[in-house]
Parts: sequence; C-alpha cells; structure tokens
Amino acid sequence: MANTSRLYFTCIRNTLEAAMCLQNFPCQEVERHNKPEVELKTSPEVLLNPVLICRNEAEKCLIETSINSLRISLKVKQADELENILTKKFLRFLSMRAEAFQVLRRKPVQGYDISFLITNYHCEDMQKHKLIDFIVQFMEDIDKEISELKLSVNTRGRLVATEFLKQFI
Amino acid sequence: MILLQSPSRFLLQTLLNRVQNLEKGVELDYQWVEFDDVRYHVQVSMKYPQFLLLSVSLPTPAQEAVFSGGLPFGAIEAIKASYGVLVQILDPPKDGFNLTLKLNLSKLPPDEEYKHALLVKIASVREVVLGAPLRVVLKHLASRTVAPDINRPFALVHRPKESFFLVPQAEKVTVVFPMRFKDSIDTVLATSFLQEFVEARRTAGLNNAPPCLWSPSPPLELRGTAGEALSANAGFVTFVIFPRHVEGKKLDRTVWSLSTFRAYVSYHVKCSEGFMHTRMRRRVESLIQALDRAKPDLEKSKKTVQGRSFKRLSLKEAHTNSNSQRWS
Repeated sequence: MANTSRLYFTCIRNTLEAAMCLQNFPCQEVERHNKPEVELKTSPEVLLNPVLICRNEAEKCLIETSINSLRISLKVKQADELENILTKKFLRFLSMRAEAFQVLRRKPVQGYDISFLITNYHCEDMQKHKLIDFIVQFMEDIDKEISELKLSVNTRGRLVATEFLKQFI
Repeated sequence: MILLQSPSRFLLQTLLNRVQNLEKGVELDYQWVEFDDVRYHVQVSMKYPQFLLLSVSLPTPAQEAVFSGGLPFGAIEAIKASYGVLVQILDPPKDGFNLTLKLNLSKLPPDEEYKHALLVKIASVREVVLGAPLRVVLKHLASRTVAPDINRPFALVHRPKESFFLVPQAEKVTVVFPMRFKDSIDTVLATSFLQEFVEARRTAGLNNAPPCLWSPSPPLELRGTAGEALSANAGFVTFVIFPRHVEGKKLDRTVWSLSTFRAYVSYHVKCSEGFMHTRMRRRVESLIQALDRAKPDLEKSKKTVQGRSFKRLSLKEAHTNSNSQRWS
C-alpha cells in the first residue's frame, strides 16, 4: 500500500512545489478588493492551467492555480458501501472543523470529496515546504484512517458475532 | 459489557432497596423506559409497605403478531410459573400499561441467596413476558414436538410495530429477523456486522452454534406473510435452532438472546459509531498539529542579537484590503 501510493503522492508534492508561487494581486473589477482569483475566475489572464493527477478512476487530485491562490481538490477511493460511508463521515467531520485548518475549504468542489484553498496570505504566514508537507500528510492520513476505521468495524463485528453465537454452545 | 443483561438494573436496585428496609414505610413512584420501548412503573404506598405495584408496558405489536388480552401468547402462564405466590396479576392493568403485578414482599423466602435469585428473576420480567411465546415454542422443540395451536410462520413482537418470525418444526425452529434501521449509516454498519455473523459461524470453535444466514431478500420461510413485514433495509437474518441449543439451562439464555437480537446489533452499531468519533477527534488534533508545524516560530524571529525585540509588520497588516475572510 505504502509503496504503490508513494508515486502518486510524490507526483502531487512535485506539482504543488511548482504551482505554489503565489503573489499578492488585488481584484481587477472592484477597487480595494482582494479575492482569490481561482474561486472567482473573472479574469482569465491570471488563471493557469489546472493539473489533474489520477491514480485511478476513483482516486484523483485536481490542482487549480491562479496568480494569488491555489485550489486542491481530492477524491478518495471508496471501494464499497462501508468505505463510502466512512469516508463521507470522516470528511464531513473534517470540513466542519475547517476553521481550525485555515487552508481547508468548507465545501468540496463538485465531484470531489474534500478541497483546500491556499492564498498568498497563507504562504506568507506559513513556510511553503511545510505547508506542502501538511497537504501530503493529510492525504496519507485520510487513506490510513479510513482503512483503519474499516478494519475496526470488521473486527468489532466479528467479536460481537462470536460472543453472541458462543451463548448457544 | 458485550452482551445485554436481562434483569433491569434499576428495577433490581429498587427491589433490593425496598426489601432491605421493608418495615420503613416510604412512598415510591418511579417511571422509566428501557430499550425497544419497554416502560416500567413502580409504586409503593405509605400504608402498605410490603406491597409493590409493578406495571410494564410492552412495545405496540405489528398487525401480524398475536396478542391475547394485551399480552403475548403464554405470558400469564409464564409469570405464574416463574413467580408463584409472590405475585398477583391485577386485571385490568393500570392505564397505559399492558401488565400490572402486585408483589407481596413479605412472602419472600428467608434464605438470602434464594431471595436474591428471585428478585433478579422479577427484575427480568421483560424476558419472562416478551420471551413467553418463544419459550413455549422452544420447549416443544426440546421435546421434539410442535405446539398444536400455532400458525406459521409465527410472528413475535420485539420492537414497536416490528416483529420477527418463527417457523417451528419437530426437529428445528427457524428464526427470521427482518432488520430495519432508520439511519443510513446504521444500515451500512449493521449490514457489515450481520455478514460477520455468517462468517463467524464458519470458524472452527463455533461448529455447534446455530447456523446463521443473511440475505438481502426475504427467505422462503416467510412466504405468505404480509408485505409490510417483508420490508427490511438491512436484510434478513435467519438462525436455525436445534434441540441441542435449548437443552436444560440453555433454554433461558437462548430465549433472551433471540428476543434481544435486534437490540444487541443496534447497541454495537452505536458503540462502533462512538468509537469512530473518538478516533476522528484524535486524528483532527494530530492534523492540526501538523499544520501548526508549518507556521514559523514567531518567538524566535522577534528577538534580535542585542536582545531588543521588535514587531515584524506582517504583509497582511500592510495591505489595506485583506482577504483574510474565508472563502467557501
């Protein structure tokens, strides 16, 4: 698992390193406003080409960049119904705490499970390489957590069933 | 606690308290609810401290389940057999309850151990009343006969407006549980739990346990029952009980386990969800720590070599317009 996904994460890390060169850029439409251009998409000249990194159909990562902001959207693999429920539950739990993670978006971009929005201010407050470390760790942790949660549900199910059936012996 | 206990803890505590201070006249009026909508009411009056009124309300039966006089089939006989002279059944029961028992605590046996066992038995009144029809069927199984006056499949109530089914035969009794859950997460978790039951039965140590099957569609045994009873979003579980599962002392345990199977699964589904929440909370904390590591140590940058401190004017403050507001 760790080996097969390493290439995927390395690719994301390299793309992020290249893409995260953000600068302050005031809004061109409204005076004295400063907005993440990637969200508004009003001026095409400040948007860069989005990059889509796919591991397979179910797991992909979309990186959209603009002059002053960067948006990363993730789709997490959901092999069966149980994983689907666990992923939904866990990511909802994280999104509800978006205030604590400054870079997390409250709502994912359509078609994805969770999104980050990084602006030039975040890059000024935080060290860029560590911010990238965080994003990659976040992705690894989600995968790990979901597989562990699934394992714990199955283990508990087995234990519960065994105890119940033992009563009849 | 992995298995559900049959005596109601609160009822047992109340009874033990009452028995210890029998001479003291106290006024008691307790009402409480247990899982699957079983309600209790205990009353003791100042005047007659030795008498205790215990009323029990059972879940409302679905159409197909047979109730005679507000009680499951065979309940009156089961109460009389379990409690003997200690208990008098009041007819009609109190308003809003299915059964009212008048306990005469002065008739308790003097032997401490026996007395305690009897009180535990009274606290398990739920098992005695709700499990009565199941007990009748399983008793017939133990003697390898079929009760004559039973139509099949035979419906038993275990939750409000929900029932499970028995198909009694001379050599075996098939028990079918339609599993319903309100919440979609509960349904998925329960489905995976139920599949584990089938898997667990296959392990070597449990060869003698009742065969257990799970299917998303109603099993053949339920042909001919009403359509409403056949809707289950978490599938159907079938246990096949053989005479060896109801021999002697095992009967009581089997009756209790089967009549609370749905509650047992649901209890563990909820426990599982609670556990997940604790885990997720911990994970959020560790992720926030990872993000904090990205922030440069402000304390260090503030001090210069001479020990003077200055405040670094951050770029955010330099701009009159700030987009520090969140975008979502």
